[in-house]
Amino acid sequence: MARQTADIGIARGSSPPPVASIYRSRWFDFNLSRPGNQHKLGYILLLPALLLIAAIIAYPLILSIDLSLQDVKIARIGSGDQPWTLVNYQRLFASAEFWHSCWVTIRLVLLVTTSCFIIGMGTALLLNQVFKGRKLARLLIAIPWAIPEVVAVIGFWWIFDSSFGVVNWTLVTLGIVERPIAWFSSGAGAFFVVTVVMVWKGYPFVSIMLLAGLQSIPEEFYEAARVDGATAWQRFLNITLPCLSPVLGPTLVLVMLWVFRDFSVIYVLTQGGPINATETLGIMTYEQAFSFFKMGYAAAIGVVTLVICAVAARFMVRRVAQPLY
Amino acid sequence: MTLRSLTTRLSLSAAVAALAFGADTGPVAAQETLRMLSWQVEDPAYGPWWRGIIEEFEAVHPDVTIEFTNVPRDSYADQMTTLFASGSPPEIVHLASFEYPNFAELGWLENLDPWIEEAGLDLDGWAGQGKCEWNGDTVCLMLLYFGTINAYNEAMFEEAGLKVPTTYEEHLEAARALTKDTDGDGFIDQYGVGLSTAGGPGQYLSEVLSYVVDAGGNWSNEQGEPTLDTPEMIEALTRWKTLISENLTPLDLASGDVRQLFIEGKIAQRVDGPWLYGIMQNAEPEILAQLKLAAPPFHPPMGGSSNIIAMPSEIDDATKQLVWDFIEITASEEQQRKFAELGASPAPMPGAVPDDIEASVPHFDLLVETMNEAAEAGVDRMPTGFEVNFNEFSKMIQEEIQRMLIDDLDPAETAARMQERAAAL
Repeated sequence: MARQTADIGIARGSSPPPVASIYRSRWFDFNLSRPGNQHKLGYILLLPALLLIAAIIAYPLILSIDLSLQDVKIARIGSGDQPWTLVNYQRLFASAEFWHSCWVTIRLVLLVTTSCFIIGMGTALLLNQVFKGRKLARLLIAIPWAIPEVVAVIGFWWIFDSSFGVVNWTLVTLGIVERPIAWFSSGAGAFFVVTVVMVWKGYPFVSIMLLAGLQSIPEEFYEAARVDGATAWQRFLNITLPCLSPVLGPTLVLVMLWVFRDFSVIYVLTQGGPINATETLGIMTYEQAFSFFKMGYAAAIGVVTLVICAVAARFMVRRVAQPLY
Repeated sequence: MTLRSLTTRLSLSAAVAALAFGADTGPVAAQETLRMLSWQVEDPAYGPWWRGIIEEFEAVHPDVTIEFTNVPRDSYADQMTTLFASGSPPEIVHLASFEYPNFAELGWLENLDPWIEEAGLDLDGWAGQGKCEWNGDTVCLMLLYFGTINAYNEAMFEEAGLKVPTTYEEHLEAARALTKDTDGDGFIDQYGVGLSTAGGPGQYLSEVLSYVVDAGGNWSNEQGEPTLDTPEMIEALTRWKTLISENLTPLDLASGDVRQLFIEGKIAQRVDGPWLYGIMQNAEPEILAQLKLAAPPFHPPMGGSSNIIAMPSEIDDATKQLVWDFIEITASEEQQRKFAELGASPAPMPGAVPDDIEASVPHFDLLVETMNEAAEAGVDRMPTGFEVNFNEFSKMIQEEIQRMLIDDLDPAETAARMQERAAAL
C-alpha cells in the first residue's frame, strides 16, 4: 500500500485516495511502472511535440481549407468569415489555366525526377567505386545541392542569356545552331532551362542518398552473384536496385515533392512565362494570391495541390519502398 | 526565514520597485514609433530625401520615432498585403501607384480630403494627383509623376551619320542601322534600342505603352472600356513586333540589365524615366561623355504616376494626426524642392524648382517638358477602368503579345484577342 501511494506521487501524511479508484480509473492511473501502462509515458512525452505540430501545421492547414471555401479577395484575420461556398473550386476545375498548370507541373515532376534519378544513380555508382580522389569527388558532387537556389538560378540565367550567354555562344560557334536561341522567349526553351536548373540542383541529393544505400549492401550478395555467373547488368537489376528500394522510395518522394512545391527557381527564371509555359501550381498559387489578390481562389489551388502531393507520395512510398530481400 | 519566504519577499520588493520606477519613467514609455516600409531606403536619390523628412518630423515630434524599413521592390506588394491582411499595416503607407487601388477598394486607406481641407493644402496642379482619387475620395498624395526621356549614345549616332530621332520612323531607322556585330565574330554585340521584356507584366506594359500612345492608341478610354482592337493599337503592336522580331534589342532582360548595357556602350538608345540620368553617372568616363539626353521620339511621350503616400484607415485618431503631419512635411515646398534636387526630376508640386537646379540637373527643362506633355495628353501607365485588376490586365497583355511574337501571329488577331480577354476581366 505504501509503495502504491509513492508511485502516484501522493505526499506522505496526506490521506491516500481510495484504492479502488486508482485501479478502476483507466486514464488517470499514473502508475507508469506497470508494464501495461508504459505506452502512456510515450504519449505524455510526445504531447508537447504533438501540440507544436498542431500549431504550426494543422492550424495553417485548417485556415487554408477554411479560406478556400470563402469567396474573398484579400483575406483578413479576425474580420469575420464569409459564408462557405464551393465557388472557388468550381472556378478552379472549370479553368483552362489550372489544367494547363497541372500539366506543366506533372511534366516537370516527371522530367526532373527521372533525370535526377538517372544522373544521381550514375554518380552514386561511380562514387561507390574505389579510386584516387574519391573523397574530393564526393565533396564536389554535393556542391550544387549546397548552393542557394537563387544564386544558382541567377548564374544559369546569365549562362542561358539570349544575347550574351555562353550556351548560345557555344552552340553557334560549334555550328549546332545558326543564330542564338531566345531561351526565355519561347515556351519550350524556357521549360528546358527550368528543367536543367532543377536537375542540376536536385541530382546531388539523390546521389548522396543512393550512395548511402549502396554502402549498406553486403558485398557477399555480389560475390555470390559473380559465382553464379551474373553479368554486371544482372547484378545491378537483381541486387543493387532491389536492395536500394527502401532508400529509393523516400528519396524519389522527396525529390518529387521538392519539384512540386519549388517556387524560387521558376519564379526567378521565368515568373511562369512565357505564355504560362512554366507556370506550375506553386507559381499559379502565388500569382493568384499576391498578384491578383484572389486569396480564396489561391487557397483552393493550394488545397488541391496538397491533395495531389499526398496521393502521389502515398503511391510512391507504397510502390517503390518495398524491399525485395 | 526559509528560502521560500525569502524568494517571495524579494519578488514582492521587485514588483513594488518596478511599479514605483515605472511611474518615473512615464515619458520614456510613451515614446511612440511609426512604421514606414519602402523600397527606396537604399536608393541613392530618394533614400536621403526620405531621411530628411524623417529628421524634420522627429525634430517637431521628439517623442515619436519613425522606423524606416527597406523592403525589396520584388516582394513589396506581398509584404504590404500581408501586413494589411493581418490588421497591422505600417502607419505611413508608401505604395506604387498601381498597387494602391486594391487597398483603397477594400477601404483600408483613409480619405484624406478632410485632412487636406483642414490643413489648407493646395493640390491644384499637383502632377498626377488625379490618380489618387478613388470613388470620389482623395486617398493618397502622388509623390512622382514623370515623362520619359530618350537617352542615346552620341558617338554611335555620329559614326553612323544619324541624327537624334524625333519620330518613330527615325527611331526604327536608327535601331536598324545601329544593331551590328562590331567585332565580326558572328554575334551581335551592339543593339540599336534597349527594351526590357523580362521585368514582369507591369514593366512590359510600360515598355509597350510608348509605342501605343505614339500610334494614337491607349489601353482604355476615359469611361474605362478597353480599346485594344483599334487600328492604332494594331499599328502599335506591329511596331513592337518589328523591333523584337528583327532582333533590334537584346531579349529577355529586366530593365536594370538594359540600363546596365546602355551605360556599358552596348545599346544605342533607351527611352526611360528621369532616374536613368542617375544610373548613367555610373558609366565609365569615356562612355559617360557620349551619353546624352533628348526628348523621346514618341508623341505624346509615355508618362505616368509612380508612387504614393497614404494613411491606413484603421489606426487611432492620435496616430492619424501624426501620420498627417508626416504627409504634410512631405508636401511642403521645401521638401518638394529637395525632391527635385535629389531625385533629379520635377517634383509634383508645381513650381517647386530649386534656384540652382540647372547646375545639378542640366536637363531639368527637358524633364518638365516631357512630364507636362504626357500629363496634358492624359497618359498614364495605369489604364483607366483596370486599376484594381492592373496585374491581371498587364499579365494578359504580356501573354498575348508574347503569343504574337512566338507564334508569329497577325497583330490584328492579337488585338482582337486582347480586347476579348480584357472585356472578360
